[in-house]
Amino acid sequence: MNPGRFIRMSYLVASVAGVAFFAMSVALLGIWPGRVLENQTRSMSPPHPLGLSVSEQRGRGIYSREGCAYCHTQQVRYLHSDMLRFGAPTLAWETRFDYPHLWGTRRIGPDLAREGGTHSEDWQFAHLYGPRTLVRDSVMPSYSSLFDGSPDRPRQEARDLVAYLETLGRARELAGPEGEAHARAACNCPNDEMAQMAFHAAALNVNPAKARRQGPVPKLPVEADLARGQELYVHDCASCHGSHGEADGPGARELHPQPANLAGHEYTVDYLGAVLWNGVAGTAMPAWRDLPAVDLAAIAQAVRGLHVAQQEPTLPANIVELGAQVYKDHCVQCHGEHGGGDGSAVGELKMVPADFRGSRPSIAESLRALRNGVEGTQMAPWTEKLSEAELSAVAYYVRSFYLGGQ
Amino acid sequence: MNENTGLAAAPPVETRLVYAHGLAAIVTLLISVLFGFVASVEMFAPDLARGSPWLGWGRLRYDHTQGILFGWLGNAFFAFLYHAVPLLTGRPVTSARLGQWIFGLWNFAVVAPGWVLVLAGFSQPLEWAEFPIVIDVFVVLALVLAIIQFLPPFFWRGLEDLYVSSWYVIGALVFTLLAYPMGNFVPELVPGARGAAFSGLWIHDAIGLYVTPLALAIIYFVIPAATRRPIYSHFLSMLGFWLLFFLYPLNGTHHYVFSVIPMSAQIGAITASALLGVDVIIVVANLLLSLRGAGVFPRDIALRFAAMSTIFYLVVSIQGSVQAQMSVNQVVHFSDWVVGHSHLAMLGFATFAAAGGLAHVWQRIPLAYYNARALEWSYWLLLAGVILMVTDLTIAGLVEARLWQSAAPWLDSVRAAKPYWLVRTGSVIPIGAGFVMLLAGLTTGRRGAGLESVEQTIGLEPVREIAPRIAASTSVSGAA
Repeated sequence: MNPGRFIRMSYLVASVAGVAFFAMSVALLGIWPGRVLENQTRSMSPPHPLGLSVSEQRGRGIYSREGCAYCHTQQVRYLHSDMLRFGAPTLAWETRFDYPHLWGTRRIGPDLAREGGTHSEDWQFAHLYGPRTLVRDSVMPSYSSLFDGSPDRPRQEARDLVAYLETLGRARELAGPEGEAHARAACNCPNDEMAQMAFHAAALNVNPAKARRQGPVPKLPVEADLARGQELYVHDCASCHGSHGEADGPGARELHPQPANLAGHEYTVDYLGAVLWNGVAGTAMPAWRDLPAVDLAAIAQAVRGLHVAQQEPTLPANIVELGAQVYKDHCVQCHGEHGGGDGSAVGELKMVPADFRGSRPSIAESLRALRNGVEGTQMAPWTEKLSEAELSAVAYYVRSFYLGGQ
Repeated sequence: MNENTGLAAAPPVETRLVYAHGLAAIVTLLISVLFGFVASVEMFAPDLARGSPWLGWGRLRYDHTQGILFGWLGNAFFAFLYHAVPLLTGRPVTSARLGQWIFGLWNFAVVAPGWVLVLAGFSQPLEWAEFPIVIDVFVVLALVLAIIQFLPPFFWRGLEDLYVSSWYVIGALVFTLLAYPMGNFVPELVPGARGAAFSGLWIHDAIGLYVTPLALAIIYFVIPAATRRPIYSHFLSMLGFWLLFFLYPLNGTHHYVFSVIPMSAQIGAITASALLGVDVIIVVANLLLSLRGAGVFPRDIALRFAAMSTIFYLVVSIQGSVQAQMSVNQVVHFSDWVVGHSHLAMLGFATFAAAGGLAHVWQRIPLAYYNARALEWSYWLLLAGVILMVTDLTIAGLVEARLWQSAAPWLDSVRAAKPYWLVRTGSVIPIGAGFVMLLAGLTTGRRGAGLESVEQTIGLEPVREIAPRIAASTSVSGAA
């Protein structure tokens, strides 16, 4: 064979090999994994997973066009570091409605694969409209053009987008423990360490900001660094609660219910610990489980320091009695016999009622809530039902449950 | 333009198309840099675009990378091909008229409308595929036309003894056309994790089958042309070429390590990524050995760009091989480290190759404006800018990664990154200035100064080759 012919042949072979390698890449890294994933999806998916509604689908389009996926991934990796922050790793079937996928390759903000149910709707709207009104150091762009001039006037696009955000992680949440058991059985992979991680996550959604109605709270250390607490307060709390705790931060106006007026309340450390650890379910108050206990103690200390003490009048016995009577007649179902926010109707309420044992409102705060109600909760105005005297009496009375002393 | 065929040594170069694509490249480059610059400012001044969705971060981010991929690199590659293909084959490209169509399609049916549509909110949330599907149709059409334009000369000439640049050109055009639909159409039809597997392939193929081969074609072309010495080893050239085309496509899944995509596919891709590092060492060794004697900073500016591009290629590829490994990937993935990596690839390796290619081609366009001092400035400014930006983002990535591994709140990683983002934006000063100087280098100065610089750096021999072109172009049209 002469060298020219040999070279020609070798180029021909190499060219064929080049195309073959390309075809192999498509087959081995595209088509074959696709088939495996398709089988997984078919076997592990619950029989009727909830897809996206038209509005949610439109929201997905907005999420796509604004490049949300370029800062927020939608894929919890099979890694303990990911699982500790975001929860159970993403299974193939969870992505079955994603045309196209929005996995992303950069995480500037947190992963959103399990965002649904993590934040309240008013928080989402206020956050999309002006992220820094709620999260001071956020670098997320404002999406105010989805609104009619203010966060409480979302246009259809903003509603669609928030509807879509609520779907993230929803299908698996709805599948519930039965769904998990079904997927695990279908996977049938007890020896596949990585696959097992998807089922052995501590929880589906471990977002540290997700509020929960109740849950064990770690004991806060007694020693608390006030200066550190004040610094954290400025960064993490003042956006809503205001720099002096008067519920007048830039984010306060958009939230329903309004953030707590910290200057107008006394709080026990235990109460603050529970609120910081669990958040306040049904409101925009997130949980702060990503902060170490010393920082939570420091914040609690700083918050207690915001209270503005007022002169306490001594009340005649008949007023106290009237207050007790009104409370018994009208308040006890929700706020509980001993003011612990644990009445018989609590399970029906969107937001857990005020716990007067852990928090003591000032007279002004107490009267304000009674007269105006608390927007965004089932606490209605009582001016129609109660006389001025009764209002005042019960406003004073609820303050007597407080366990924190003067 | 082709009446000069009577002059035996004259390679029939479509000078006007070189010129048009070259200028379009730099203009779209400057616009793409502007997109990137504004997006980078929004990272620490996020309210900049408040109320104007056209300027939203996501949309600018889409336009930035698509502009670089299609506008800057695409046009620069075309400009180079119009010069190189006739010289490599001794034959003209298929048709000057077809060239006008390709130019029009590429710039006025792909880049410009793509940008506008993305800003108006029509796009695809897929990396390196952000232009909407309607644009993809024109990209595919333009790629088909480019194959018709550039490949026939190689086949008419015969494929034996083709120089390695020719192989890279053929490979790039063919495989880009094959790979493009995979990243741009398939994920729209195949959902979720399955679509992501295809996306991963394209993310890597865009770099591996389109950008890298054409950048290497330029480097392999410029080095012997500017040093007047043959490449060190044609065997190593071919070995590197084929290994690249075998291995690059198999890297795709390394963008989704620790995902639900089957582990064996991930491990296969990670292995291929490591092997790719070996291939790059072969290629770069061959290139550096060919450069020996010219120094790290050769006098000829085109060669200097190509030499630095070679070094960037080595660094970015070894970095890529390392960061694909599971132990590294799990830490730095999702962080600014990766953004630094992609800038080292696109702004370091590919842009230096393209700028070197343009300078080289410009020196050989008869009567083209050429400003050697501006190009000197361009080189040093860009070098400083790339090093500053990539170092900054790499450190930022490590800082973020460390915080993510710890129990610190997520926002701590954002707070910690802000100063680095500020520096990254600062790096636009040398980079932007470098690109303005590049534009100045190719549009100001004296006509014909490029040729003089060739004379000064490598002597008269090549000038004799170009002389007939000058005669031809001055007699046919002074309009070039």
